[in-house]
Amino acid sequence: MLEIKNLSKTYKKGNVKALDNVSLSINEGEFVALLGQNGAGKSTLINILAGNVTKDNGTVIVGDYNLDKNELETKKILGIVPQEITFDFVFSVGEILKNQSLYFGIKENQKYIDELLATLSLSEKKDAKSRGLSGGMKRRLLIAKALVHRPKLLILDEPTAGVDIELRRSLYDFLNQLHQQGTTIILTTHYLEEAEKLCDRIIIINEGKIIADDSKNKLMDTLGNEAMVELNFDNKKELSDFHFLTSYSPVMKNSKTLQMKASKQNIADIFYRISSNKVKFSNFKIEPQKLEDVFLTLINDESNK
Amino acid sequence: MKSNFLFYNPTGFFGLFKREVKRFMKVYIQTLLAPLLSNMLFLGVFGGMLKTRQVGIEGVDYLHFLVPGLSAMGAIFAGFQNPSFSIIVQKYSDTLKDLNSYPLSNFEKTLAFVLGGTVRGTLIGILTYIATIPFVGYSINNPLIFFGMLIVLSFIFSSLGVTVGLVLNNFEKMNFLLAIILTPLAYFGGVFFEVSQLPGILSKIIIANPLYPLINMVRFGYLGVHEGSIAIQSIFISIMSFITFFIAFLLLKKGVGLRN
Repeated sequence: MLEIKNLSKTYKKGNVKALDNVSLSINEGEFVALLGQNGAGKSTLINILAGNVTKDNGTVIVGDYNLDKNELETKKILGIVPQEITFDFVFSVGEILKNQSLYFGIKENQKYIDELLATLSLSEKKDAKSRGLSGGMKRRLLIAKALVHRPKLLILDEPTAGVDIELRRSLYDFLNQLHQQGTTIILTTHYLEEAEKLCDRIIIINEGKIIADDSKNKLMDTLGNEAMVELNFDNKKELSDFHFLTSYSPVMKNSKTLQMKASKQNIADIFYRISSNKVKFSNFKIEPQKLEDVFLTLINDESNK
Repeated sequence: MKSNFLFYNPTGFFGLFKREVKRFMKVYIQTLLAPLLSNMLFLGVFGGMLKTRQVGIEGVDYLHFLVPGLSAMGAIFAGFQNPSFSIIVQKYSDTLKDLNSYPLSNFEKTLAFVLGGTVRGTLIGILTYIATIPFVGYSINNPLIFFGMLIVLSFIFSSLGVTVGLVLNNFEKMNFLLAIILTPLAYFGGVFFEVSQLPGILSKIIIANPLYPLINMVRFGYLGVHEGSIAIQSIFISIMSFITFFIAFLLLKKGVGLRN
């Protein structure tokens, strides 16, 4: 669905290298998270696809079309939800979507527009001007606008930034629904639990380079191998009571709780040592690493290189 | 989406053109009625004051002389302002870059903006003519040339409006350009008086004003009398139409104001 080879972009202003030889391939039907810190290059990548930024080098193939040779054909395949909320303020919600359909060459699209408005709970606002909408409604309208031409590849640039939890959840459901219907989705987000929840594949970009690209599970297995082990006791304890666990660098979270990090393979060893030393605990918790931890580990590793 | 030899996406082109027309129709008080009122004030003030003096073509009543000039001036300003205002507003609201994501050729985008302005310019020109009917009557020497020239004039200045909208990024600069260049050129292009009546070298300098042949041709359509060679002025207007559109097209193709 999307094939990017050796994509580079340097902004003349400030001589900033936003993308450095980026290559990636996204298959039809995938739900991919594109993660990175601010200024990592995510938006530049999306803006190149949208036509807002001209690339310096590299090849971009969308569907079967090369961006350099058949740019207009690629537009029909792509639906882009930008980060900034912007609308033609003189037009109503219904008119914005109708205009958008026309730009994509669709004359009769009212039925689908009504469907989209209903799904995104905007039907009542069909005749309202966009500037009178709430922040959440504007976000939903942006998504509806990107979908009017039924794109095969939907790219969402931080669609839930500044959106309340309830709306965020309804957007997750909607995106899942779209994905199940066969739409390929690329999502950039700062909410890593969002990526963890929705996406099958994670691509992490840092300083214009891809530093990780794998399925979510594989990434978590290889890089998220550590877990946080927490033991609770009925009586007060001292750190010295756990000398047999020194190799795991335990810490006392409070006087009755001990915490340590360990690889998944070593968890059994921790419990074996506790049992051998006849220490009784009242409760325990094993918390696997989150995508957030993996992300931070990767970013920090790259920064230290 | 059916393409043809000229248009890649005719429906999309029509959609963008329609949006440009709808945009000014939605604020018709500001875009149509206000310039019409100002033209009528010009007619009242200048026409009333100067009707007994010979400032127009000899043998032609001054009010009759003034009508095509005001129609042309209305078309020039409205044609220029429609796309330039639309593009700069879209720059402010950050929606102009949306154009990059539509499957529309650069020719289609340019033409849609230019034709949107052409419609507004022509409408102002025609409305000015209609509004003057109670004072000067409705007779037009050659309606085809008169209305045709209003369209051509609006097209040229709408193309210039697209260029200015793409190049400039705020209203201050656009208004400055309008006040410092376009308004003096229009006022000294033969809207209010016959250029050849100006004293000495001034009349020669003013003939070099690019607006002069355009206004003169509109007047030729309305009155049937003119200054200078119609053939040369027609060639000049044809070249100007092509060049102004081509510059707008090239800038849009290059992504000026649109792409980083």
